Formats: sequence, structure tokens, C-alpha cells
Amino acid sequence: MSQKRIMFSPVTRLSGLLSVEVVVDGSRVMEANAGGTMFRGFELIMRGRSINDAVYMTQRICGICSLAHGAVSSYLLDDLYDHQISENAQYLRNIMLAADILQNHIRHFYFFSLPDYVRMPAQPPFEGQELADARLSSQDNQRMVNNYFRSVVASQECHQMLALFGGKAPHQHSFVHGGVAVAPSADKIIQARALINNVRQFVKESLIVDTELLSKAYSDYYNIGRTPDRLLSFGMFRFGDKNQYPLWRSGVLEGGRLSSPQFMLISEEVSSSWYVRAGGQDLPDPHKQGAYTFIKSVQYRGQPFEMGPLARMLINGFYRGGTSTMDRIYARSLEAFLIAELLREWLQRLVPGPPPIRQKNNPVKERATAATDVMRGALLHSARVTEGQVAEYNIITPTAWNFSPKGSAGQRGPAESALAGAIIPGPGLLNTVLGRIIRAFDPCINCGTHVLRAKGSEES
Amino acid sequence: MQKEDFVKLCRTLSISQDHTLSAQVLPVVQKYRNNLPDYKLPVIWLETNDSGDNNIAFMNTTYPYLGQVLTDMIDLLYSNTFMAAQGKEALYKLDQAANRLSGKFTLVVEGAIPTGENGLYTMIARTENRNITALEAVLWLGPLAQNVIALGTCASFGGVSAARPNITGSVGISSILQREVINVSGCPVNPDWFVGTLAHLLMYGRPELDSLGRPTLFYGFTVHRHCQRRSYFDSGQFAEKLGDVECMFSLGCMGPRTGADCPYRQWINHVSWPVKANTPCIGCTNKDFPDGSSPFFTPLPEKSSPANNDGQPESPALKGAENVTEENNV
Repeated sequence: MSQKRIMFSPVTRLSGLLSVEVVVDGSRVMEANAGGTMFRGFELIMRGRSINDAVYMTQRICGICSLAHGAVSSYLLDDLYDHQISENAQYLRNIMLAADILQNHIRHFYFFSLPDYVRMPAQPPFEGQELADARLSSQDNQRMVNNYFRSVVASQECHQMLALFGGKAPHQHSFVHGGVAVAPSADKIIQARALINNVRQFVKESLIVDTELLSKAYSDYYNIGRTPDRLLSFGMFRFGDKNQYPLWRSGVLEGGRLSSPQFMLISEEVSSSWYVRAGGQDLPDPHKQGAYTFIKSVQYRGQPFEMGPLARMLINGFYRGGTSTMDRIYARSLEAFLIAELLREWLQRLVPGPPPIRQKNNPVKERATAATDVMRGALLHSARVTEGQVAEYNIITPTAWNFSPKGSAGQRGPAESALAGAIIPGPGLLNTVLGRIIRAFDPCINCGTHVLRAKGSEES
Repeated sequence: MQKEDFVKLCRTLSISQDHTLSAQVLPVVQKYRNNLPDYKLPVIWLETNDSGDNNIAFMNTTYPYLGQVLTDMIDLLYSNTFMAAQGKEALYKLDQAANRLSGKFTLVVEGAIPTGENGLYTMIARTENRNITALEAVLWLGPLAQNVIALGTCASFGGVSAARPNITGSVGISSILQREVINVSGCPVNPDWFVGTLAHLLMYGRPELDSLGRPTLFYGFTVHRHCQRRSYFDSGQFAEKLGDVECMFSLGCMGPRTGADCPYRQWINHVSWPVKANTPCIGCTNKDFPDGSSPFFTPLPEKSSPANNDGQPESPALKGAENVTEENNV
């Protein structure tokens, strides 16, 4: 028996920079160390700035999920100022967030995931595709290649819908604290309805059908990439004047039991990360021995938890299945379908009128924590403010949960759990199998690796 | 077909009511295109320290759409975002493209370059033996490229990645390369600015650049000069809150100090832009973004004066005239 250490890097077709080191014994993956290899330090960047800048600044953490950060920081500011959010503002906010999520799911499936399963044309950027077990009939394969190029338009139309109301995308402008600055006028609503009808048709006729085809041809992936039965969601699509009612419920699903998540049970640690903890702060140290990532370990009640569309669909009872690679892919496509339906409904309920926004002048609180589910799972922002300036800002992203490195007790994060134990069925298939397992989590390393605990920061 | 024949063909057929002209001309154009050597621009695209927003912005291009750009305009030989190859095969593709097309490829860098800790704050890849930092990769590929494009404000000037306190020592790529860099700034870039720059390189060579290395075609006028709300500014009517219809100079708008054609071009199939969404421009194409625009909702004269504002032209604030070429590109 000889074990080999292999560095799978770069893991292409995702947002950001990821390297995964695996230890392989014969045909079995014994261990996996998933490493985010970029550091940005947003919590430090936020310190000393006006808290009102948080929406536009934190959106710049991420390109593919920018409004996720904009939404959560808006909720945080709503709480600090004690704003009242109108029903029309909530419809508009959820329409914008849903459009960004649809954009993400379509692009993930076609641009990032598809070349793991489908033989792409032998031209840039697809040259060098290592696909040793292409299984689709040439007809189905061609269908999916065609849909890769059709998804270009569908995903662009999602961002066009977002920009109609938000001014631009990524990094929209109008979804801010107190509501939405833009008027949901009749002309914008009718344009958005035309766009969602196109996108919905694409999701229904292409994305869903292609997902079915993949899940049949690669049904063994229902047994590959499983994680322990620990799933978490903070709930998604907030309504109510205080953002207090998520349309899709929050939950901690562990061993079949469902409970409500509590912020105080969340903890972070840095034993495998390129940080040193000193004086209540985590400072980056890329030379730290034994560390392999800029992502920190995030735990709930001391255990790693998986989050994302699969967690949401299982917690809400929209999907029955396991926690495998193909379950992850299937749940994301199913969610895209449900969101496209919701978007249509919300666009009918949105009432044409003036900008649904009311901002108060002064914060009434000094601390706030906001959390909601977004594209990849639960996103949490937490801030302490002194006279309108940021004293502390802390962010815990879904990718930090899913790509948590090993904790001090050796617990593997969800993606590492999914990789460990995987069987490589033949020569030349290592990268293929690893790539499929990793991408099904939809990693976003731009988000994952800026996490830096500011002094004394505690979620309450 | 010779030029004279082509003109004659167009003249002869221009009076016909049906599509005879298109039917005759299109195949000729197609044939001409197919015969052009090296018609597509070979591109190596590095993602370094950024949010990945510029590759998403690129996916949002319309006319041409992404599929057309990838098929007809460029050969995207290395791209962390799009390439099918992964792991060592991807690095092999990078090495092969750099060697085979040395002096011919266009290098696109998306993101700032952390210079602290020998660049270890961003590694584009790792092998069993070593780390390949963004710093090393850009220093290697920069001198080999025919053109270098800094895509977005992080790559152009450091941007949000270099915002204070900048503990990673992040800089724009022109700070580490001893050569011309075309800065296509924006947070993110408007896809038209990027695809337009690629098209210019492909068809007409290097575009004219402003003092900050940006194509004047897109950045030559201030936002303020062409803003739809300019009449409110000129008559002294200012917005009191977000959602108002008047000029948002009072709400921190950076338009007077920001070179970009957003008021004309707009975003995402040209449907809107921040001012149209009743929010101020935050100057995301600027050399000192975001620190020079902070706080975003505080009027320009009262914004915190950033220490790292070197090289930025003094605020032409109310004139809106500096930074402007007189030639009309609009």
C-alpha cells in the first residue's frame, strides 16, 4: 500500500481560486484538504467607514452573488435604524434577489458544471477537457452543448431583470437600507415580466430536462460525494416590515430532526487556516505550518454543517433525497424552477408606484446581526457601530461553511467529507471525479476567504 | 473581391426592395472573414485578487453575446472561469499558450496583485512542490504578451482589494509591469468597455488612451457632463433623499470627478445605470475608488480626503470639463 499526495489545482470553473490536495491510496481518496488561495480582509477594510457604505462595499466581496451581500447588509442596516419596510419594497427586493439567484444557478449548471459531464466542442475554452467517462448519447450531448450557448442569453436576461430595477449588475445600487430607491413603474414591471417568461421557459425546457438527463446517465453520483446528515439554513426571501418572515423556513436538520438555528451556537476556528489568533483578532499568516487555506472553519454546536439549495429543499420538504453530488445538482435545478415561478407571481403582485423607500437619519442601535440564505446557503453579517462608523464588521459566508478546513478535533468540513472515501473507478479519472464532487457545492472562493474576526466580535 | 467590385455591387443592388443586397453581400463578408489569418485574438485570462465580478460582467455582454465573443472574436486559451481543463492539464495549457504564442497573445488580468509576503496572499495555483502566486504569474506573462489589459478597477489601480488599510499590499498591474497596460476600469467593468477594447485591438489596433491608460472612447467624458440630471444641477435643484428626481450631488454623487460613459451607454443590455435607479454614482472607474469616494453618500467637497489620492487629477468638480476630449465619440 502506498499513499500518494496529489495537488488538484487550479480547480477551474468556479468563482475564485481553489486548490484541493488529496491523499490517494490505490483507487481510494483517503483524505482531502480544500484550500482557498486568496485573501482580501473585508472586515478590516470595513472598519472606520460609514456604516451606510456597507451595502455597496460588501457587494464587492463577490461577483456572482453580489446582491447576496447587498441584501444581508441592507437587513443589518434596517435593524440598526429600525426601519419599516413596505410590502411593495419587499416584493421588489425579493424579485431582485431572486433574479440574481437564478442567474447564479443557470451559470453554475451550464458554464461550471456541464463540462464535467458533457463532451464540449474541441475549441477554446474547452480544449484539454479530460472527460474519460462521457456517457450521453451524441444526441443528448449535442442538446446540452446547444443549451450551454442558449444559457448565455437566459442568464444575461436574469441580470437584465435585476438591472432594470437596480441600475446595474453585478453590484446593483437601489436595494439599500430602508427599502428600494427605484420606482417600480409599469414599464419596468412589464419588461421584467417579459424577461422572466423567457427565463422560465429556458429553466423548464432546458435546465430541468438537462438535469433529468444527467441524473439518469450519472445515477451512480447519487452514491458519491455524500456528507454527514447535518444541514442548515437561515431561511430565504424575507417579508414583513422588519424582514422577520422568511418565505422558505430556516432550520437545522440533523439526523432527521429539525430545529431552529441560533446565532450563539455558531463558532469559528483557525487551526487549519493561514491565520494566527492574537489579542482577539485573527491575522493572516500565509507561512503558518500545517495550514492549507485562507478559509476558516465554521461550526454549529461544534460541528460542520452543509448549506445551500440542497439544505433548503430538504429543510422545507420540497425535495426528498440524500446528500450526494447528484442530489446537490438536482436540488439546485429544482430550486431554480421554484424561483422562476415565484418571480412571476411577485411581478404580478408588485404595485406600480413611487420608490418604496424610507430611510431614517440616525441608527437607534449599536449592534446588529443579519442572516439569510442566499445562492450558496446562509450568509451572516454582524456589525458594531459607533456614531455611524463601523467599529467591527464580521461576515460568515456559505462557502466558509461548505469549504471549512479541518477543525481542531479533526472534523472535516462538508466538501472535504464528500471527497474523503471517494473511489476513483479507473485511470485518468481522478480529476474528473474530484471536479464533479467539488463543483456540486458551487464554491465561491472570493466569498470564502476574506473572513477575519475583528476584536471582541461576538454574535448575540 | 476587390474594393471597386464591392462598391459597384452595393450601388447596383441598393435600389432593390427585396433582400438581394444582403444575399449578395453577406457571403462575401463571410468569405473575407474566413480568409483572414489570425482573425481571433488569442487571450490568456488570469483571475487574481478580486470579487470575480468582471468575469460575470463579461458574461453579461450583448451584441455580441458571450457565445459569439468566444466563438468569433477570441481564443480563450486560459481562464479559471471558463476552461474545461482542470488541475495540471490547465497549467499545461497555460504554459503551452504562453510559449507557443509568445509576443502574440493578449493578457487579461482580472484583480489586483498582492505584493506583501512575496505575493502569497493570492496563488493562482499550487503544485506538490510550490505555490504560483498572482505576482509571479503576472511578472512571467506580462513581458511575453502583445497587449496587456487590466480588467476592472482592482487590476487597473488596486481598487477595493487595495482599499485601506490594504494589509496585503495590493496594487494595480501597471505598478509591477514595466510596459504599457490598457486599463479598462470599473467595478465591475461595463462589458461594452471590455468587449469594445478587445474589438478595437482586433480590428483597429491599440485604442487611444487617456492619462490613466484607459481608452478615451469610453472614459473620455465625465459622468456629470452627460448626466440626464445635469439640468437640475445647473439650476441648483438637489435631491434631499434617495428616490428623489433631482441632481444627487447633494447625496454624494461622484459624477463630476468620474470618467465614464454610463449616462449614454447604461448597463446590462443598456437598460439602466445607478443615477437612473435614483442613486448616486460612486466613481467606480476612478484611480482612488473606493477610498476617494467614501463616504459614498456624503457630498463631494466633504468626502474624507484619502491619503492615497496621488496621481488623480484634482477634482474638476463643478466644471465637469477636465478629463474630456473634445472629439465626439457618442
